Amino acid sequence: MNLAAVFAVAGWELRLAVRGRLVMGTAITFTVVCVLATLLGLRTLSDLGLAGIGPGTGALINLAILFPPLMGIMLGANSLSSARERSLLPLMLVQPLSRLDHVCGVVLGLVGAVWLTIGFGFGASALLLASVAGTADIAGLLAIVGSALGVGVVSVTIGVAISALAGSRLQALGLSMGLWFLFAFAIDLVLAGVAAAVHLGPFGLFIGVLLNPLEAGRILMVLASGADALTLGPFGAYLNNTVGTTAATLAVWASLATWTALSLLVAWMGITRREP
Amino acid sequence: MTRKHSQEPSEDAALLEIHGVSKAFGEQAVLDDVSIQLQRGDIALLVGANGSGKSTLLRCVAGLTAFEGTVRVLGEDPRSAAGRGLIGYLPQLVALPDSVTVSEVITFFARLRGVSLRRPAEFAAAVPLPDGFLPALERPIGALSGGMRRRVALAVALLGSPPLVLLDEPAASLDEEHSASLWETLQALRAAGGTALIAMPLLVTSLLRHDLASVADRAVLLDQGRVVHDGPVESLRPSPTMGTHGSMSGSSQ
Repeated sequence: MNLAAVFAVAGWELRLAVRGRLVMGTAITFTVVCVLATLLGLRTLSDLGLAGIGPGTGALINLAILFPPLMGIMLGANSLSSARERSLLPLMLVQPLSRLDHVCGVVLGLVGAVWLTIGFGFGASALLLASVAGTADIAGLLAIVGSALGVGVVSVTIGVAISALAGSRLQALGLSMGLWFLFAFAIDLVLAGVAAAVHLGPFGLFIGVLLNPLEAGRILMVLASGADALTLGPFGAYLNNTVGTTAATLAVWASLATWTALSLLVAWMGITRREP
Repeated sequence: MTRKHSQEPSEDAALLEIHGVSKAFGEQAVLDDVSIQLQRGDIALLVGANGSGKSTLLRCVAGLTAFEGTVRVLGEDPRSAAGRGLIGYLPQLVALPDSVTVSEVITFFARLRGVSLRRPAEFAAAVPLPDGFLPALERPIGALSGGMRRRVALAVALLGSPPLVLLDEPAASLDEEHSASLWETLQALRAAGGTALIAMPLLVTSLLRHDLASVADRAVLLDQGRVVHDGPVESLRPSPTMGTHGSMSGSSQ
């Protein structure tokens, strides 16, 4: 792998992303909403701590699950498809770097943009929390941020994979938003609706969580906040009693890593087999 | 300092070998058994009507599209990273991002090609274009006209003086002054031992024949994906219906 070329592409993509309206708009909105959620939840955060999973913690976790992944998957979906439509992709791919180098550079640059957004939002929250937080809360917040960064990587790679396969930029963006909606809301609703009817059981639900990167991220953040797994209700009790919190955390990280690796593979195959 | 290309051709070795290249989109054959050889220092025009396969042939040579047959640049397959390092390519259409400056575009592609631009002298050596050809370096691409953007893309293709330059209608959108600069640049490229394959439509070729004749050594005429003429530029004879498909005739060598 040509690391110099990978970093050059990453720097280029990061520069384009942070100068774009999507990143700028999302970063500002995410930061404002994080600050509001922290201010509104400051009382419960002060009383219960981050691990208490009050409205403040819940809001921060949900924000981290919704905003950055939406931005990441859309940025990814826009990347190769837009470059292809602007005939910029042939100009990039005729340079002396492999297509895997190019895909890795694109992912790295866009992940940087998503991480910056997460950093702004949670950075502002951390400043507010500092006045009321204990040491455990700061560690919990850092763990939530770490989980959010992981979900950000997955969302970008899924977006880039969509971008490599889609017929047009518009199609890629539509698919990415549809997939985000599916992961963020629809799968949850379907699982809640059919779990009892098909006797899915806690193990089935756990598999369902591992197959949905956003839900996996949500569970990861709850566990990372320092909360007892029982906070997750009967499902948490199942996790606690069967696999244990540590094993569940590792399983969720493995799920996110698998999503990332598979998406990178799909993106690489897409850009290799398709004419730019 | 610009990157040195480690593989210099021997005196008689072909720099570019295109042998039996065929390409079809579905049932439609676009290139049919095309064979061309260019020696070091050759400047060849690839001319033909719209849809004759000029751009597709350049994309094959650039390693951007699958094809049947063989293409070698200094013995390297252009689909390999090593092969692509030997080629500078200007696509027919390219829309550089509006939010970056001319300098950022040049610097980025220079980094990809391993060309250093840290000192002004290095910049001048890496971008072999006459003074004033490039727009001001600090200007954003979004503030440039179509012709200025074309000149930036041309600079990218020529970065580091690659052994083989593929230009797809390079004079499109250029005014007379900058077209003249382009031909001067190509003459300098040839004098330095560079090789170029330049796709041009028939109409432009006829208009610029005098300029081109002084720059190009050869003209390869494509008609429906086949080479129907390969000879000196002057040997192309416009027919009365020039500009229509396959309307230009030439005496094959």
